[in-house]
Amino acid sequence: MTTATIPPATTRRRQRFNSAYLYVAPSLLLIGVFIAEPILRSGWMSLHDWTVGEDTHAWVGLGNYTELFGDERFRNALGVTGLYTVVVTAGQVLGGLALALWLRRTTWLTALLRSAFFFPTVASFAVVGVVWKFLLDPQVGLINGWLGEVGVTGPSWLADTGLALPTVMAVGIWKGVGFSMIVLLAALQGVPVPLMEAATLDGANRWQRLRAVTLPEIRPALLFTTVISTVTSLQLFDLVYVMTGGGPLFHTESIVTYLYQRGFVEFRLGYASAIAWVLFLLILAVSLIQLRIARSDDDQ
Amino acid sequence: MRSPLRAPWKIAAVLTAGLLAVAGCGSGGDDGSADGVVQLSLWTGFTGPDRPAYESLVKQFNDTHPKIKVTMDVQPWDAIGQKLPGAWATGQGPDLATPNFDPGVLFTYAKTNSLLPLDEAAGDGDGKLNASLFPKAVTTAFTIDGKLYAAPANMATLVLYYNKAMLTEAGVSEPKTGDDLVAAAKKLTKMNGGKVTQYGISLADHATIQMWPILQWMNGGDIVDAKGCATVAEPASVQALQTWADLVAKDKVSPVGQTGADADTLFSAKKAAMEINGPWAAAGFKSAGIDLGIAAVPVGAGGPVTLASTVPLAIGKSTKHKAQALEFLAWWTGKTAQAAFSDASGFPPVRTDVTPTNPIVAPFAAQLPTARLYLPGLPTSAKIDTDVYVPLIGKITRGEPVGPAAQSAAEAINKITGCKP
Repeated sequence: MTTATIPPATTRRRQRFNSAYLYVAPSLLLIGVFIAEPILRSGWMSLHDWTVGEDTHAWVGLGNYTELFGDERFRNALGVTGLYTVVVTAGQVLGGLALALWLRRTTWLTALLRSAFFFPTVASFAVVGVVWKFLLDPQVGLINGWLGEVGVTGPSWLADTGLALPTVMAVGIWKGVGFSMIVLLAALQGVPVPLMEAATLDGANRWQRLRAVTLPEIRPALLFTTVISTVTSLQLFDLVYVMTGGGPLFHTESIVTYLYQRGFVEFRLGYASAIAWVLFLLILAVSLIQLRIARSDDDQ
Repeated sequence: MRSPLRAPWKIAAVLTAGLLAVAGCGSGGDDGSADGVVQLSLWTGFTGPDRPAYESLVKQFNDTHPKIKVTMDVQPWDAIGQKLPGAWATGQGPDLATPNFDPGVLFTYAKTNSLLPLDEAAGDGDGKLNASLFPKAVTTAFTIDGKLYAAPANMATLVLYYNKAMLTEAGVSEPKTGDDLVAAAKKLTKMNGGKVTQYGISLADHATIQMWPILQWMNGGDIVDAKGCATVAEPASVQALQTWADLVAKDKVSPVGQTGADADTLFSAKKAAMEINGPWAAAGFKSAGIDLGIAAVPVGAGGPVTLASTVPLAIGKSTKHKAQALEFLAWWTGKTAQAAFSDASGFPPVRTDVTPTNPIVAPFAAQLPTARLYLPGLPTSAKIDTDVYVPLIGKITRGEPVGPAAQSAAEAINKITGCKP
């Protein structure tokens, strides 16, 4: 039979070659169309004075980036986002650690509390924002209602320039602390019991055991939660958009809400793309620094 | 013979087909004609109590035009603001829409080449767009580079609403002058141990039809002149801003930093005695059980004045049914429709040749001759509003000194408009 004369080696190589590409093709297609192409295109747009619908888009080189450098509202947004990121990341990681240590043992009560703390993680930022905005309303909100009953005049949480950002931060921490708690709880279960027992026998007190045994053992999980929390905080949008719209007087305007304003309200897509690229580089740099710090710790 | 290639190929084929189907969904849905009836889609932001009046007007059009069927999709203004610009700029979206309650946004849409100029439909008589019969302020606001881009979906003026019971209780009579208004706002504000239990007036400063300009105009001040040069830092303007900033920041006659919706809620909840607002709010206030008083905006040193509001109704440039959309606009602004609409809604008619018969229209219509639009005819009005005017009011009502704040606002405005004073 003629078919039997085909060299088996060729068939095998061709099969492996083809099927490998086929298996990754769907993912590649999705990534290419929905991630890679838009990223590259936004880079290209950021070099133009690009307004939606205009027939021509003038080449401005790095003009958008230099304009950004002198843009007071952008610098304000950068400051707001930076402060939010530092406070919320610290709050989520430290708060998550404290909760994880507290709820370490599994009983019916801790299981209930864990679920309660994890619950906000499941809800979307938009929903959380709407609910809190309602609770915090100075006229009809529950929180000022309660405060009023104990004789305290509640402030306008989201309209006061000094309180709006801290309020949004508190909601941000509340929203994310459950996620850190779950990750750190899982890591705590992995701390070797003999190591703990040995430390106890050596006379280490609780604080010493935490510092010398627990924390080094769960460092990868701590790093993971810090990076995730930092990256999501830097992209702050939903909470601000829903709760304050960036106000009062730009006190809660984040980089992404400002990007939204320029790109999708004023339709200056070139300028908005430049903001997006600055944010992208910022996130990249912060993540690299965090990973670098973690690695140098490992080397010690 | 069973090829080992078959399974991956199948997976790939199914996935690709799936992706194509998903992509195909996006461009699906044709708004074309079936049975010779042209389907027109219309997006509006009339979610308020005035909604039924618009709906009955659309129904009346559909009943009298068997070859055209207009479907009105009512959504909140901010939802339209999010979806419409992208949709129209990329050749999708509805045939007709009210892009915003502020005519200033037309400049943005014109810049993205999204609007159909209406000049070819303009003319006299039925079936034409009688643009010459619209109030002049309206046509000025809707004309960009000599082309008319919208027809008025409505026309309104702002009046002073007040809670009769609260005024009677405090022994305050209906304010007629600017000084009356200031005195009333103070007297109607009630405090209990540092906490305000009743506000004299409910003022909004953002996400609203602006009411602060009226307070400036009343005193003879203004924000920007016709050449685009800032007038916000001139004495009459600063004086008015100072008076009202003090009233809010020190005398606490109104909460700080309210949106338009917040301000309405406060007045509806009987926590404020007065509010400056348009005819769309009347029905809501009445159904909230308020014994409602309606008065003309009090007259100050600057003479009688109020803010005019007109919602632009525009046609998307990429509509496939241009003639029918233009016919709809001509009918909407025609004599019959406007007489019916004014009666049903309590809004003044958008044409100067229609006399309203509904008595509730009278206070709004009476102010039309002295009503002014907010930042009219400025391509940069949206930017001046969000970047300068709203922050200015926000700052001074939180206790920042008025003089320097107004001065830096004036400089910012001149920078935006390119005015060289």
